[in-house]
Amino acid sequence: MNEFWLTIISYAKLILLTIVPFVLAGQGTMLGGRTGIFNVAQEGIMLVGASVGFLVSYLTRSNELGMLAAMLSGGLFGLALAYFTTNLRMDQFVIGLALFFIGIGLSTLLPKIVIGVTLTPPLIPTLKEISIPVLSQIPVIGEIFFKQNALVYFSILLSVGLWWYLYRTQVGMELRAVGENPQAADSLGVNVTRSRYWTAIVGGMLIGLAGAYLPMVYTGTFTENMVKGRGWLAIALTFFGGWKPDTILYGALFFALIEVLAYRVQVLGTAIPYQFLLMLPYLATILVMVFSFRKARVPAFLGQNYDREKRAL
Amino acid sequence: MNAPILLHMRGVSKAFGSTQALDDVSFELRQREIHGLLGGNGAGKTTLMNILFGLYRADAGEIFLNDQPVHITGPKDAITHRINMVHQHFLQVGSFTVLENILIGAPRKNRWNNRYDAEVQKIQSLQERFGLQVPLDALIEDLPMGMRQKVEILKALYRGVQVLILDEPTTNLTPQEVDALFQSLRVMVQEGLSVVFITHKLREVMSVCDRITVLRNGKNVLTLDRQEASEDAFVRAMVGEGMDLSRSVIFAHAGQDLPAPAPVPLLRVEGIVTAPAEGSVALKGISFDVREGEIFGIAGVAGNGQRELAEVVMGLLPVQSGQVFLRDQTLPHPDSRRVLKGDFAYIPEDRLHDGFLPRASVAHNLILGLHRRPPYSNGRVIDWSTVFSRARELIGQYNIKTSGPEDMGGNLSGGNIQRVMVARAFSATAPVLVAHNPTRGLDIPSMDLVYQKMLERKRQGQATLLISEDLDELMLMCDRIGVLYKGELLGIVERGQFEKYTIGQMMSGIRPQA
Amino acid sequence: MKKSNAVFSIARAVLPYLLAVLAAFAAAGVFIALMGFDVFKAYGTILFTSFRTPNGFVQTLLKFVPLVLQALAFTIPLTAGKFNIGGEGQLLVGATAATVVGIVFANLPPVLLIPLVLLAGVLGGALWGLIPGWLLYRFGINEILTTVLLNFVSFNLVNYVCTGPLRDPGAGHPTTLAIGENGWLPMLVNNPPLHSGILLAILVVAVVYYVITRTVSGYELVATGANPRAAGVFGINTRWMFIASLVIAGGVGGLSGALEVAGAQHRLIEGMQHNFLVLGLIIGLIAKGNNLAVPFVAFFISVLEVGASAMQRTLMIPVEMVFIVEALILVFVLLSDLVQKRVS
Repeated sequence: MNEFWLTIISYAKLILLTIVPFVLAGQGTMLGGRTGIFNVAQEGIMLVGASVGFLVSYLTRSNELGMLAAMLSGGLFGLALAYFTTNLRMDQFVIGLALFFIGIGLSTLLPKIVIGVTLTPPLIPTLKEISIPVLSQIPVIGEIFFKQNALVYFSILLSVGLWWYLYRTQVGMELRAVGENPQAADSLGVNVTRSRYWTAIVGGMLIGLAGAYLPMVYTGTFTENMVKGRGWLAIALTFFGGWKPDTILYGALFFALIEVLAYRVQVLGTAIPYQFLLMLPYLATILVMVFSFRKARVPAFLGQNYDREKRAL
Repeated sequence: MNAPILLHMRGVSKAFGSTQALDDVSFELRQREIHGLLGGNGAGKTTLMNILFGLYRADAGEIFLNDQPVHITGPKDAITHRINMVHQHFLQVGSFTVLENILIGAPRKNRWNNRYDAEVQKIQSLQERFGLQVPLDALIEDLPMGMRQKVEILKALYRGVQVLILDEPTTNLTPQEVDALFQSLRVMVQEGLSVVFITHKLREVMSVCDRITVLRNGKNVLTLDRQEASEDAFVRAMVGEGMDLSRSVIFAHAGQDLPAPAPVPLLRVEGIVTAPAEGSVALKGISFDVREGEIFGIAGVAGNGQRELAEVVMGLLPVQSGQVFLRDQTLPHPDSRRVLKGDFAYIPEDRLHDGFLPRASVAHNLILGLHRRPPYSNGRVIDWSTVFSRARELIGQYNIKTSGPEDMGGNLSGGNIQRVMVARAFSATAPVLVAHNPTRGLDIPSMDLVYQKMLERKRQGQATLLISEDLDELMLMCDRIGVLYKGELLGIVERGQFEKYTIGQMMSGIRPQA
Repeated sequence: MKKSNAVFSIARAVLPYLLAVLAAFAAAGVFIALMGFDVFKAYGTILFTSFRTPNGFVQTLLKFVPLVLQALAFTIPLTAGKFNIGGEGQLLVGATAATVVGIVFANLPPVLLIPLVLLAGVLGGALWGLIPGWLLYRFGINEILTTVLLNFVSFNLVNYVCTGPLRDPGAGHPTTLAIGENGWLPMLVNNPPLHSGILLAILVVAVVYYVITRTVSGYELVATGANPRAAGVFGINTRWMFIASLVIAGGVGGLSGALEVAGAQHRLIEGMQHNFLVLGLIIGLIAKGNNLAVPFVAFFISVLEVGASAMQRTLMIPVEMVFIVEALILVFVLLSDLVQKRVS
């Protein structure tokens, strides 16, 4: 095999590795949105997930516990979002921003308290590659798809599972009904509050896990604002993917491709200053929104709060 | 003769914030009866039934079913007790199929797949028994209102129902469809159901109900067998003692002897064709004129192009061809500034979306569209002291229940929002008024005020285009009525030739014999 | 009678804020105590640093200038119902434009250079507001994401300018050369140093308030924010209101950058935007979008910020603690709204 093909394979592998935060945060956002809860705190929740995931891994020397802790903290943010919007019926966007702020603050505060300020960054081991027996032996395909870390497999299985759940089961159909017209669902005995709570919490957990992926795979340490807008990009991805698990997975491939290009092309060395390459993910996302935003099919009740006793005006 | 009592609600009270919607109301439903729940808007009819259906929780009161106390904390409990309700605004998921809408929340044998053979069979047998034919795999948003009502009734029947509540079920039906609905209600009663029929139309309860309960301002007024009472007794019960019936437009037809309008067209609409678009009806060559001192009505079942027509006249919706004239002057089109320029006033159908500013004050709301002209401004700076004093006058005159001009719009109830729409439109004194369902949500005295104001416009030689889904309203107020069906004007009927069933036939698409 | 009514209604408006502040301090106080710090000493430092010394007060005013402008950059479009989360991008592009102009035309006299530097900042920020505004106007694209994403674009732009052509080789951190001294804002007070940008900031606050509450354009902006569809039906050009409000907000954000350059730093420094954006959002949201309340809230937050730095210096409590207090104040203010609604 010549060098060209080896490069292609390594890029494909890298792209698959890079989809994870987008898939997890995108599906987490989509899940909440399917019951009408529009989470905009992704950036903050991912930061907390990254911070907590890193700290727990660092203290326990276990990435698994780190991921668990990141999911737990993300779940708490989801719980808060569910409570403030479902029980107190506060403006979803405003409370989402408030949670985003708290996330920013906590993510830098916690390492300062737990570890303090150090000269060299404290490091954690990054996630190991897991080779799937037999399948990983297939030429090319095996290298790209079956020698990846656990979360790559998880995020793809998650997408498939969510699709099956939403579009092939009675409960999934009822969940979608809540996001389209909660009053209709409620009047037929579907528990709107319960659906909103669990989707917001599980969504928050996935977003927290997406954050933990960054120190555990990319850097081995936590740095301030290391999420670099991926949380906001995940929102764009969710719209781009039409709030559907399958298309969000495909969309994540595109986002990952741009990110890989932006970071890899600068290594190759070009005449373009690297700062302009680093603008690519954001500019490409804006461009994508131009072409997909208005066509996006959005859950009809997205961003709204349901009040059973609200009178028709 | 008297069937046993199936359901009894006793001492029910319910407050929304500071308004007492229901005050110690009782209600009795017998087996196999159609019970009319009659009252003006805001009387508490829907609130009472929403409590029975579990959507609202009562502050006080008890419910007995077959003499057993039952606790209904949500629609799920109501469904368990075989109580179901068809709301005025159908509770359906537009992007789902009919089948999916019926099956949401229904017990299913296998919840982990989407094979529905057994369920489809059960639904089809219900469809045959009650004559409710609807294609099960059609999307709800593609169906006309009449079909969607059948879906709602099927939803209830599928779950098994002994008490069926229908909230203003005739709103979107032609007179012929209303008759058909009444017939299928009779079939249901013969099959053992009991029906609660909510309406504000006296004539409907008189024609179909066995017993009638009248509510007014959240209180019981009376319950009578239909045979026992005269129409006058019900009218008095609905409106209360405070209203002078002899001077009302609704009951005494006051002002109906006004002279015929001058033959001078003020507003003329010619050959309007609009593009077909998703979720809207294309207009296909509409022409008519509204003369000085005329009230011109547009009849039709909702969703046949009324909204589009109103928006074309107001300059909001682009046209493919055709023109709108004001006093023989062609108006530029589209042009959303017709209210701003002072020639038009508008009461939109969808007051919440198209007419109201919930996050601005009542004063802001009352000058919307009038804010660039005297007396409210000089075009650059708003004269707030004039705005506030005029707002206070309007609040008093139109009986808008609010703490004052600085109150937030969002604090108002639906009826009061409608009063703001009406007050703003009539205070504009524009030559042309487009009023789309102007009395929706108003209680009877306020309705009467709107009619008085329309007659005043008539006296002053102004033109009014009254688009309404209420045929009785149109026949009461209009000089001429045009009937809209699927974007076409099927005919124009002159006063004196108004006949409910003829117009009803046109509403269902049958052209009049030439 | 009338006077006491006014006092009463002001008290009623301020009371929930006071309670929210108390609740936030109490909640965070538990946390601080658990970490083993002296809560009262910490809060004493946070609240009173601004008022103990002239320097503390001037520091507060210097913080106030960018914060109040960032808050307005958020609340002006909010009046029209649009969310501008791009204040820091607008600040940075404004600051970049101001710096470039200040370096290139360094030899112009102050009467020309100062207005030119400020104008460049306003135009740079306005351009950064025009992009999401135009995307919204032309394609109907949600402004929230576009404004946020443009922030990240501006970070890279600033990094390029600070490490590229205008780099100050002597600085350890990515920084540009200083702008010409003729472009520096005159001082109001020399010791401790307070530049005249504060006057400009207050002027902007007053103009914004007047336009929004008194003029026809302000009415149309409010109506658009209250319900864009209804405003459009009754003749208001809402898409124009959206784009105009975002461009004006961008200009105000750009001005905040230009004032940092011309008044405080005299050069472009990577990271000079600190957390002004988020604080601006917090201020705007605590003020519930009310442009009259913005300067008061902004001043209060400036006091907390100056106190936070002092607290970190003297008590070794991380500044982020105060940031979380500020976010909690916002949450409690929102909660107090609910309580008021339930009671009335």
